[in-house]
Amino acid sequence: MNLGKILRIARWETTRSAGDVDRKTAAAFVVVLVLIAALVPALLAYGPTPGEGMYRVAVDDDSPYHDVVESDATLAAVEPSPGAISAGHAEVLVTPDRIVAGDSAKSRAALAALRSATVSYNDRLMAQEGNQSAAFPVVVSLQYVDQNLGITGQQSGAEPSGGQTDGTEQSGDATDGTADGTQDGGTATGEQTTDGGGQAELPSGPSGGLGGVFGDSQSGTPSSLSPPFPLRSLVLAFAFLLPLNVVIQAYGSSVLAERINRRGEPMLVAPVSRGDIVAGKTLPYFLGAIALISLIAVAVGAGPLAVAAISPLAALFLAATFFGSMLARSYKELTFVTVTVSVTLTAYAFVPAVFAEVHPIAAISPLTVVVDSITGAGTEAGAFVLATVPPALVAVVLFGLGTGVYREEDMFTQLPIPSKLLDALAAPLTATWRVGLWTALFVPFVLVAELFAVAVLFVAPVTLSVPLLLASVAVIEEVAKSIHVFAGFERARFPRDARSALVVGAVSGVGFFVGEKLLLVTQLVGLPSIDVARVAFSPAVLGLPPGVLLVAPLLLHVVTACISALGAARSRVAYVGALTVAAVVHVAYNLAVVSVGA
Amino acid sequence: VRRLVLARRTLGSLRSEKTIVLAIAIQLFIAAFSSFLVVGLVSLYDPGATEGAATVDVGVSGNASDSLAPVVEERGSRDVVRYDSRAAAMQDFRNGTIDAVLHGVRQPSGRVIVSAVAPEGSFRTTLVVAQLKEALSEYERTLRAELSHSLERQPLDLPPERQSNPYFSFTYTVLLPLLSFLPAFISGSVMADSLAEEEERGTLELLRVAPLSLPDIVDGKALALVALAPAQVALWLALLAYNGSTVANPLAVLALVTGVAAVLVAGGAALALGIGARREAQLLYSFCALAAFGAASLLPQSPQNLVARLAVGSPTALTWLSLAAVLAAAALGYAALRHLAGESAD
Repeated sequence: MNLGKILRIARWETTRSAGDVDRKTAAAFVVVLVLIAALVPALLAYGPTPGEGMYRVAVDDDSPYHDVVESDATLAAVEPSPGAISAGHAEVLVTPDRIVAGDSAKSRAALAALRSATVSYNDRLMAQEGNQSAAFPVVVSLQYVDQNLGITGQQSGAEPSGGQTDGTEQSGDATDGTADGTQDGGTATGEQTTDGGGQAELPSGPSGGLGGVFGDSQSGTPSSLSPPFPLRSLVLAFAFLLPLNVVIQAYGSSVLAERINRRGEPMLVAPVSRGDIVAGKTLPYFLGAIALISLIAVAVGAGPLAVAAISPLAALFLAATFFGSMLARSYKELTFVTVTVSVTLTAYAFVPAVFAEVHPIAAISPLTVVVDSITGAGTEAGAFVLATVPPALVAVVLFGLGTGVYREEDMFTQLPIPSKLLDALAAPLTATWRVGLWTALFVPFVLVAELFAVAVLFVAPVTLSVPLLLASVAVIEEVAKSIHVFAGFERARFPRDARSALVVGAVSGVGFFVGEKLLLVTQLVGLPSIDVARVAFSPAVLGLPPGVLLVAPLLLHVVTACISALGAARSRVAYVGALTVAAVVHVAYNLAVVSVGA
Repeated sequence: VRRLVLARRTLGSLRSEKTIVLAIAIQLFIAAFSSFLVVGLVSLYDPGATEGAATVDVGVSGNASDSLAPVVEERGSRDVVRYDSRAAAMQDFRNGTIDAVLHGVRQPSGRVIVSAVAPEGSFRTTLVVAQLKEALSEYERTLRAELSHSLERQPLDLPPERQSNPYFSFTYTVLLPLLSFLPAFISGSVMADSLAEEEERGTLELLRVAPLSLPDIVDGKALALVALAPAQVALWLALLAYNGSTVANPLAVLALVTGVAAVLVAGGAALALGIGARREAQLLYSFCALAAFGAASLLPQSPQNLVARLAVGSPTALTWLSLAAVLAAAALGYAALRHLAGESAD
């Protein structure tokens, strides 16, 4: 690695990109970007409702419910007639004395929508009353208290409001909470220690940041209570991750362009190392991504910690795209690779962040750090490490794998992705001990995959989630221990005999055992306090002598890695079979440990 | 006929690269992911949504207990434990015996001040708060009715409550539009890829040596990719119908998807022909598609809304007009593309 060379390549990449764009294209970019910038405020102001007019309510123009129907965008008023429902003209019929609905799923959903629209309508009506204590006879102040440790007055204003009964409701109609007469204009932030006395106000949320968009103000009427709802994380996920998609699209194109018509060849024969080329090509895009992230962070009111938390994720986006465009054969294939990368990584960042402000599992996602940074809740060092280190490590390993095939014989050949993948995996295996090294390097992948599995499965009941998780942990770990071993045999890195299979398997098992110590990072944030996470990350901490604790997992990893290596040495079919056997052995071991522990 | 050959070859290359498999896998993942999310979120605060949901135990104290407790208990999903003092209730709350505390104090004006306590940082928090909200809203209605003599305006009676599927609206307004427009967007993107790559590799020249004009080449590729979008959507419609979410106007939805795909494919092709480099063409395509979709959302019936209305079976005259407009735009865009291809061929 040579900094001067890297910078020169980076500069070259930047100027070449800018030079390539002709004036017409540049003008088109400017026009479209201005158009988009102009559209955003229009969309925010207009707030389109995707479900507009979905439910038709047959109601007379002078019925009081006509105003209700008019006030809700998903409802549409149609001419009432006795047979309106059976004729399929309407879902709900409002007559002067009663409200009838059909029996279809749609009719029932329409009735529920009409009901909640009536509730909001009543609230607005009551807001105009002179006698407010009769109009809003219940005033509630909500307090969150820890059930085991005692009272810790907690923020009740920091939750985004607007979480109506429908989870998919967009922020367009944050009109509730404006219709109350009891609001006291409180501007208290975060912490609230209301005591059960006669106080009649709830604090409104912190203003600024996203608060204004969602209408954070909470009043004391029951309908203004909003359960903790991850609307904020949802919007943040898209605010931060969509621009990254733009960056990786340009980056992927640039990498693949080197591989078309041997354009990258001059660079390869220049006196620079492969690492320099890759680092130089990546640097401008990474800096661009950081700049975008910083801009967004400023826009949503997040601090520098948020930028630091998202940066590893940006690196991971770039790393996965780089590796993908080293494997792809054509732009078409690259498009699908890019979409896969962005969908998978968005899911990884998004699923745990849904539980921000609700549950410690959210610590897995870098977006949680962003949410905490905005609400001012603060992030523990352990949570920050958990959110950033695994994606950063995975990014480094992916760049390493991709750089391994950044060479003439791989760049300019057309092979299917699986076969290119085997090439990439086999390339670094120049000596037996390197098998162990790469197994250890795969541990961050294992960590990320297992964290994701925990985040997905912890909602399910324990009887279902624990077996599923045990199985997925076993499969993930066995694949990580053996996939490059299989590649090594397929690419004739090792002789196909039982002896070398056993040696390679044992090395891989030891490598995994050593790398696995990295998983200790999960202990830092108290993840093991969740049942499911305990099964995944520390099955052995329960009541066994320390010697056994150390030797048993080592033995397990060596044995299972040898089983799959023996299969890999024979053929592809044998490998799949052996992998299955290894996974079953692994599950059996874990079950034994769990039951001994319990 | 030659165009059909080219269309078949385009599809063939998608098949041999297994990209179409990947595309369907991605869509399946997105569908599963968003459904998981919504099911997860809804079950967070809607106890009726998941089978066998646990009940919430609510401790009630204060001098308004006599009127508050029966309202809270009305629902099977809530149990009431009454306490003489708030301190006693809090004691049990901290032990975990009860899930929430409502301390109601009636004031001389008739208004009731309730201090509610919910567990902090627990997975049940959302569920508990949702239950409290429901109970207190019901309580508010009860008290309002008692105090109605001092109100000038009377609140409307609520429509009857019936069990309804909480995912119903999500399926038609989010999931289905997503599954409809994603294939169309990807088709346009692949069209840009395909042309830009031929141009960058120099194989477009080779193709033109064959007895095919540039408009023919564009035709052939576009035909394959436009047809691919409704084919995928048809698959999703069938899958949804199998799952019990029937789609009212499947043919109209497919026609809409075809129209949108044709517009996007024509746009992608025009950009690729005009720019000739994949990176710029692809970026500009994404931005344009985003802008177009954003602008279309400002229409009286947005594309997303069109799919929702057609699929759920509430189309109006404007819906049909919009569909016709989309198809007209598709024909127009396609004609413009052919014209452009013819010009750049000269």
